[in-house]
Amino acid sequence: MSASTDIAKNPAVLAMPSPGLPKFDYVRARAPGEVSALLAEHGDRARLFMGGTDLFVQMRDGVIAPKIVIDLKTMPGMTDIAFDARSGLRIGAAASMNAIAAHPAVKDHYPLLVEAIETVAAYPLRTRATMGGNLCNGSPAADTAPAALVLEAQCVVMGSEGEWTIPANEFFLHVRKTAMRPGEFLTRIDIPIPPEGWAGRYVKLGRNAGGDLAIVGAAVMGYPDKSAGSGYRFRIALASVAPTPIRVPAAEVLLAAQPISEGLLDEAAQLAEAAAKPIDDLRGTARYRKAMVRNLTRRALDDVWQQLQKER
Amino acid sequence: MTDRLVGQSVKRVDAVGKVTGETAYPGDLSMDGMLHMKVLFSERAHARVVSIDTARAEALPGVAAVFTAKDVPVNEYGLIMPDQPVLCGPGSDKPGTDIVRTTMDQIAVVAAESEGIAAEALKLIEVEYDDLPTVFDPFEAMAEGAPQLHAEKPGNVIVHNRIRRGDMVAGWQAAEVVVEGEYHTSWQEHAYLQPEAGLGYIDEEGRLTVTCAGQWVHEELEQIAHALDLPEEEVRVIHPAIGGAFGGREDLSIQIVLALAAYRLKKPVKLIWSRAESIRGHHKRHPYTVKHKLGATRDGKLVAIEVDIVSDAGAYAYTSTKVLGNATMMSTGPYAIPNVQVDTRTVYTNNIPTGAFRGFGGPQAALAIESQMNKLAEMLKMDPVELRLKNVLHDGVITHVGTPLPGKVSMDEVIETCAERGGWERSNEGWQRSPIGQPDNPARRRGIGFAAGFKNIGFSFGAPEKCTAVVELHGDSEIEKVVLQHAGSDVGQGNHTVMAQMVAEAVGVPLDKIELQMADSVGVGSSGSASASRLTFMSGNSIRGAAEAALKAWQEENRPAVGDYTYIPPKTTPFDPETGQCDPNFAYGYVAEIIELEVDLETGQIELIKVICADDVGKAINPQQVVGQIEGAVVQAQGYAIMENFQMKEGRVLTDQLSTYLIPGILDVPKEVDSVIIEVPNEIGPWGARGMAEMPYIPFAPAVIAAMHDATGLWFDSIPLTPDRVVTRLREAGLGA
Repeated sequence: MSASTDIAKNPAVLAMPSPGLPKFDYVRARAPGEVSALLAEHGDRARLFMGGTDLFVQMRDGVIAPKIVIDLKTMPGMTDIAFDARSGLRIGAAASMNAIAAHPAVKDHYPLLVEAIETVAAYPLRTRATMGGNLCNGSPAADTAPAALVLEAQCVVMGSEGEWTIPANEFFLHVRKTAMRPGEFLTRIDIPIPPEGWAGRYVKLGRNAGGDLAIVGAAVMGYPDKSAGSGYRFRIALASVAPTPIRVPAAEVLLAAQPISEGLLDEAAQLAEAAAKPIDDLRGTARYRKAMVRNLTRRALDDVWQQLQKER
Repeated sequence: MTDRLVGQSVKRVDAVGKVTGETAYPGDLSMDGMLHMKVLFSERAHARVVSIDTARAEALPGVAAVFTAKDVPVNEYGLIMPDQPVLCGPGSDKPGTDIVRTTMDQIAVVAAESEGIAAEALKLIEVEYDDLPTVFDPFEAMAEGAPQLHAEKPGNVIVHNRIRRGDMVAGWQAAEVVVEGEYHTSWQEHAYLQPEAGLGYIDEEGRLTVTCAGQWVHEELEQIAHALDLPEEEVRVIHPAIGGAFGGREDLSIQIVLALAAYRLKKPVKLIWSRAESIRGHHKRHPYTVKHKLGATRDGKLVAIEVDIVSDAGAYAYTSTKVLGNATMMSTGPYAIPNVQVDTRTVYTNNIPTGAFRGFGGPQAALAIESQMNKLAEMLKMDPVELRLKNVLHDGVITHVGTPLPGKVSMDEVIETCAERGGWERSNEGWQRSPIGQPDNPARRRGIGFAAGFKNIGFSFGAPEKCTAVVELHGDSEIEKVVLQHAGSDVGQGNHTVMAQMVAEAVGVPLDKIELQMADSVGVGSSGSASASRLTFMSGNSIRGAAEAALKAWQEENRPAVGDYTYIPPKTTPFDPETGQCDPNFAYGYVAEIIELEVDLETGQIELIKVICADDVGKAINPQQVVGQIEGAVVQAQGYAIMENFQMKEGRVLTDQLSTYLIPGILDVPKEVDSVIIEVPNEIGPWGARGMAEMPYIPFAPAVIAAMHDATGLWFDSIPLTPDRVVTRLREAGLGA
């Protein structure tokens, strides 16, 4: 995003089909303290952004009209991606989705995350879009959220009182509402090393074959665990079927307790359906969504179970 | 002589400019000192506008003017009938123009120094509405006590067409097998790449000029002149590069308000609609309800048909009556049926108006008759290709409107060619195809479906039809340059390229000697619209005549030698009000389509594996452009049949963005489209050409439905086949999971 004055001076841009973006001040943040100070000073009139793929659309459409937008990706470390074999993956909140998906360690150790990222919009958009932004939006349809949930990511947040960490399953409170407090912002997503022998899948249903928001998204990961009654543990998370992305603990408990069978996978998928509380919207009816939660969860469970058996 | 140019896939005349971005579309054009406009749409679906207070908007710095109904001299327009106010509100002479009947009605326009100021000013206009009762369903609109939208059309029925032929009692007695069905189609948005945009200004000769995207410069000129009460020679319309039309620009949208502001302010004005304004501000394809009863003998001979069609016209007529006429004509398909009763009505509601869209009533009619034919084939245990060939129209066979189809009728050849291409074989038992293989994945089923269709070329039912070309030959002893002046619009279909080929061929010069002066109302007569699959046919005949006249003048030593020729095709006639008897059209094209698909029984998603589309185009002037039209129509029809789910609630569009109204993307389109060009010459067509831009669209949806039936054993009678709808139907039948 270049400065707004450039737009006003260029007659060709003035002729664009919509009035374009309203005028605003653009600040490249250099340090967390500066961000905190700006937020304290400007309050609601300031907005933070990283990729801007959501923010600028809302500004163009007149949904919001901030006077100052603060670019967080210019702060040190915000776009870094680092992997350590013991502590796991650290993703700067402003790392682009394409950078994450192309990172060798992510490809090797977190293929589920790559799969989820690759269902988001289109490649060119993912060059700007960030996983941090995807989570911070608090959209129930965020495709990286189910992956973050089943990988048990930790959201590292910076505020005026310093840094603190919110587990992914406590991060989403409601539609467009996260556990971050006013004045706070996400700096990093930490993903631990998944359990030995794990496998994962993200299955997404949209109205077209690429780019649409999810009608339903289902992430499943599973791993061998001798302490479980079934010898395995699974984690299941869903997008677009409740006010927030959700885990499905009932199904996870069931799959840990009893020997895995076709019937048990069916039952787990039914529990996922029961956990879903979708709405009717332009993308699909609640009834269809509920049915698809079961089918998609079942598909993802099938795939993961097959992978787990192969690795035995 | 040069090599023949007709029949060659020459490079498009607009290719380089469009690829490099040099080509100017209407939104790219600017003029010094120009003002920017915004339109205030109605916030109500049906209400009397009691008052409009523009004082605060006018007082906003940078606002040049705000125009309302009181500023429009003759406050009405419309392609078929002038039933729509240019601006709705108090203050104009015509009764009823103070009423808004749809949320796409325009109430005021602002001209300001910037688009931002104009947008700001819109918010300052205060409109007081007095709500009127609303109706959004055409059947409810026809019921007693329903709100009345237009005093001239009591009962809200704009037109009721009837066809009565043969003896229905005898027909149903002869029928040994009867198929009954009710079919529903929905709205479709044109979704052209380029939303409405244009400039209004006074040209160097003092003419009020509108430069915009449209389909027919002279018609737009007439409607502007009518609304502003100006002599037609004082108005000019130019179409620069156009980013798609598909019928969506056949009626006017921004032209009159651009002209009004430019005329009143004597300054250039510019108006560009956003996607949301475009989707709200122009008409859609009609939703149709088709009740259908088809009877045949056990050996598959059609003996009786009854069709009842009701279409939702929305708040204004647009081309609804003409679209309905076409649907009426095509309601019995390309088949000979002796006993026929057809009733069709198009009805006002408070929805967004509906009108022209590629196929023009044909897709809706074909969905019903072709599905009925496929169901009949199933009941008779007869192959669908075999059943069609038993009943198909041939040369000289009298149709349901009492006259034969003109020209060479190639429906049988088209069906056979398509069927062979799709794996059908002819044996002693007739045409047959072995079942297709099924995928390994038990959640997926594969199916193949067949449908056929036909489409008129040119205006129908007595509508005045003509097309003018002016050809100038420059040079001395040799022709050095050929200038073609033609008002026809290249809406993206490649017509200007085809015209260049035809004029070069007609004059006998290479393409590089051709200079085109196109789509400007000044200096050349009307071309008629870029619609009805007509422009290649009509422009080709006008060019041939003009070239011949110019060559004659050349022989007579005139320099430049000029030929000005207006082609008039054979006359057509309207439906007889009681029997429907008529000579509806002067030319047709014929099409058959095979679709192979896979459906996911668990999600309801449909994947198109292969589409075979065989079209008799008469003569492919530019085969590459013909293939382009086939592929484009296939993808647009895929959206119509499967993906595009236009949603309106109480007259408000809910899907006014391409993120909420999804059209097929590159990952959704069929894996393979086999475009089969058949050339059975049309004796009155230029070089034998018919027309073809709509044909591939016509049988697409019923072919999908047939393939879905082959895959699942179930019939689907409503489109679009959204995954939700498919899953619901599968579950009703105990299929899927």
